[in-house]
Amino acid sequence: MPKVTRWFIKAGILYFITGVLLAVIAEIPAFGAGPLLLPVYWHMLVMGWITQTIMGVSIWMFPRKHRDKQEREKLLCWLAFGLLNTGLILRFLFEPFLSITMGNYAINLLIVVSSVFQVLAIVAYILEILPRLQPREKRSIQQGRS
Amino acid sequence: MMPKPSLWMIWLSLLYLLVSATAGGVILVHKAVDIHPVIWSFLPIHYELAIWGWLVQFVMGTAYWMFPKYVNGKRRGSVAMAWGMVFVFNMGLSILVLSMLYRMEPLYIIAGRCLLVISVITFSLLMWRRVVSYRELTER
Repeated sequence: MPKVTRWFIKAGILYFITGVLLAVIAEIPAFGAGPLLLPVYWHMLVMGWITQTIMGVSIWMFPRKHRDKQEREKLLCWLAFGLLNTGLILRFLFEPFLSITMGNYAINLLIVVSSVFQVLAIVAYILEILPRLQPREKRSIQQGRS
Repeated sequence: MMPKPSLWMIWLSLLYLLVSATAGGVILVHKAVDIHPVIWSFLPIHYELAIWGWLVQFVMGTAYWMFPKYVNGKRRGSVAMAWGMVFVFNMGLSILVLSMLYRMEPLYIIAGRCLLVISVITFSLLMWRRVVSYRELTER
């Protein structure tokens, strides 16, 4: 299992635990945090856990197009990991407090950064995985050429 | 090697992931900085595409590729059924998302969801006999 896959999966497990814990906290009326935590734990489960695990496992299991281009692969994979997790952490730290901090320039900026990072992480992952998804005929032709 | 129905399902799931993440990103920014009230109407599309378009479709495509294959005959069962599964799934999802985006009659939403059900049943029929141990597969 490549190192980046291990990082994706372990980070996913941490979000999984935190997500289900927050889902429990959101159900306790005394905290009154249900509506604030709802988008946080849903994104922890869907993006933090499931999507991140899929990304890690597909980087590991999907057939590689260029075995000799490991540096490019490493860069895109780590970029996807770094951007996704920075984006998610910024989101989880500041999104629940947006209604309180409305108009705070620094927090709004961090939310925009979080959003851009998450989308860029997806772009980096797609750039890494897309060349590996080719029909048999095309792969055989390319392998014949090289 | 990855079969074409799997390739198409995974290609489309990546496209839906990108669209869903972008829609989600715009909604998140809109929470901090008011952009336009119409952005809230992206919310159901954001999660339908994330769950059905990305997660479910990616898992279906990968399972169709990776699960144990038949030793004799067509290795993954009926190819026509597999293409039917891909087509009906994406037709259903497109109808569902467009009907939500343009606030069409609930009938369209039901039709979209029914197509998703048909595709999931087709997937289950294709996969049922492939959920076996290697020994069972060689003994057949």
